Amino acid sequence: MEVEAFKRLYPLPFYERYLDSSVRPDGRPLGRARPTSVSLGAVSTADGSAIVKIGNTTMLAGVKLEVMVPSQETPDQGSITVDFQMPPICSPLVRPGRPVEAASVISEQLSNVLTSSELVNLSELCIAPGKAAWMAYLDVYCLDADGSLLDTALLASVAALAHLQLPAVSVSEEGRVYPVSSTTSGDVSMEGAETSIKVKGNSISPRRRLKLGAAPFALTCMVHKKHLLADPCAEEETLLQSSITITMNQMGRLVSFYKPGGAVPATTAIVKECISLARRRAREVQQILKEALEDHIESPSLMQTD
Amino acid sequence: MEFISPEGLRLDGRRPHEMRQLHAEVGVVAKADGSALFEMGNTKVIAAVYGPHEVQIHSQQLHDQALVRCEYSMAAFSTGERRRRGKSDRRAMELSLVIRQTLEAAILTHLMPRSQIDIFVQVLQADGGTRAACINAASMALADAGIPMRDLVVSCAAGYLNSTPLLDLNYIEDSGGGPDLTVGIFPKLDKVSLLQMDSKLSTDLFEKVLTLAMEGSKAIAEYMRQMLLENTQKLAFARGTLKR
Repeated sequence: MEVEAFKRLYPLPFYERYLDSSVRPDGRPLGRARPTSVSLGAVSTADGSAIVKIGNTTMLAGVKLEVMVPSQETPDQGSITVDFQMPPICSPLVRPGRPVEAASVISEQLSNVLTSSELVNLSELCIAPGKAAWMAYLDVYCLDADGSLLDTALLASVAALAHLQLPAVSVSEEGRVYPVSSTTSGDVSMEGAETSIKVKGNSISPRRRLKLGAAPFALTCMVHKKHLLADPCAEEETLLQSSITITMNQMGRLVSFYKPGGAVPATTAIVKECISLARRRAREVQQILKEALEDHIESPSLMQTD
Repeated sequence: MEFISPEGLRLDGRRPHEMRQLHAEVGVVAKADGSALFEMGNTKVIAAVYGPHEVQIHSQQLHDQALVRCEYSMAAFSTGERRRRGKSDRRAMELSLVIRQTLEAAILTHLMPRSQIDIFVQVLQADGGTRAACINAASMALADAGIPMRDLVVSCAAGYLNSTPLLDLNYIEDSGGGPDLTVGIFPKLDKVSLLQMDSKLSTDLFEKVLTLAMEGSKAIAEYMRQMLLENTQKLAFARGTLKR
C-alpha cells in the first residue's frame, strides 16, 4: 500500500513502525528536541521582547511596564501579570470567536511556573517602597502552533524577562515617578548597579536589567506503551494523547511536574527517564539562551533605544 | 508642531515623497496554507491564510462563491501604551471588515463555491500605516496560499501636513491632525479597491495626495512581486524543477 495512504488510514501503526526503530518520521531520535532558536528584542515598542522557535512552533513574548502603587501588604514589591494567547493565525484548529481550551490551560500553567520558580524577585520591581512600583505585563502570543506549546511559551517568557530593561526613573517625595533620559540619569553603563543618586530631592534609579533567579525550562514528553518521545510536534501530540511535562531550573531542581491523566499510566521508570531527559534539555536550552543574550548585549546599537 | 524641517526633512529624516524601509517574508507560519510577514518601517504585521476549506457555519455557505472571512487583532504590546483589546473592539472590527472587502474584490471567489477562506492578520508592532501593512501582508499570504486572484492588492497611506503631501505616515505624523488617506489598488489593472480618508481636504489637494499614495502603492507592488518571485524560485530549486 502507498505510504501516504497507509499514514492516513492507520496513523498509529505508521508511527509505531518508526518508533520501533527508535526514530521518528522527521528523522529525530526519540529523546532529541527540535532545533531551538531565541531572538531578543524583536518588538521595539515593548520594554522587553523575545521570539522563540522550537521546530515550527513560534512564540512571541513581550513585556510592558507601568507604574503602580504597591499594595499595603507588600509595599516593597511590584507585580507581574502573565497572559498567553493563541490567535487564529497559529493553527487551523483555532476558530475566531471560540477560545481554545489549550490557550487557557497553558496560560494557567505558565503563570504558575513563573510564580513558583521565583524567576523574578518582586522586590526588584520596587521603585520607592510604599509609593511606586513596576507592574510588568507579560503577553505571550503563539504565532505557529506545532506542539510543545508550554515549552516554547516558557522559554519565550524567560527570554523576554532576561531582555527586559527597567527604564531610568526619578521619584519625587510624594511618590510621583518621572522618566529620565539617558543623558541626565548619570552613567547609563551602570548595568546591574543599584546605586541611587540623590538629585534635587528626587532619588534616581538608573536603567538596569532585572537580576533573575534560576530560570525554569520545560520539556514535554509523549508517553507511548513502549516508548517515550521528547518534544512532540502537533501531529505526535494528537496521535499519542498521553503527555508528561516537566519543568526544571538551572540548578537541576524540579519546578513542576504535570501529567494530566491520559490513556497511558506512567511507571516510576518512565518518570525517572523523563526527569533525566528534562535535565539534559534544560542544560541545552540554558546554553542557547545564554548565547542569545551575549549576542544581543555585544551589539550596542540595539541597546541605545531609550 | 513642525513636521517638516526648513531643509525639507521629516521627523525621521525622510523626504516628503520617501517611503519607509520595506521588508517582506513569505511562509513564516508553517501551519498556515499561506502566510507573510510585512514590515513598513517600524510597523510589523503577520498575516496567515487558511483555505479554501469547508465552511464552518453551514448556514453561511454560498452556493456560487467562496466565503471570505477576515480577523484583525493587535498584540497588547504593539503600541506605545499597553492596551489589552477584546475581540469586540470597534476599531478592530472596522479594520477586519475593510481588509476583508478589499481582498474579496481581488479573489476569484466564483472558482471556489461552497468553501471558506480565512485571513488572519496580527499586528506585532504599530507605528502608523497599520491598515496598509495589513492589506499588503494579507495579499502576499493569499499569493503564498495559491488562492487565485485577479491581481495583488497593494496599499499605501499618504497625508498632508505643513502644506506638503507626505507619503507613508508614521504614528507621530498620523496623530498630527492632518488628513490621512489610505488607498488599496490593483497595480496591474490600475484600479482602486480601497480608498479611505479622514479629516478635511480640498478637492485639488485630494487629487495630489491620492496620486502620491497610488505611486507609493505601485512601488510597493514592485517589491512584493520581487519577493514572491524569489520565494517561488527558492521553492522550485528545492523541488528540483529549476536547475541552478
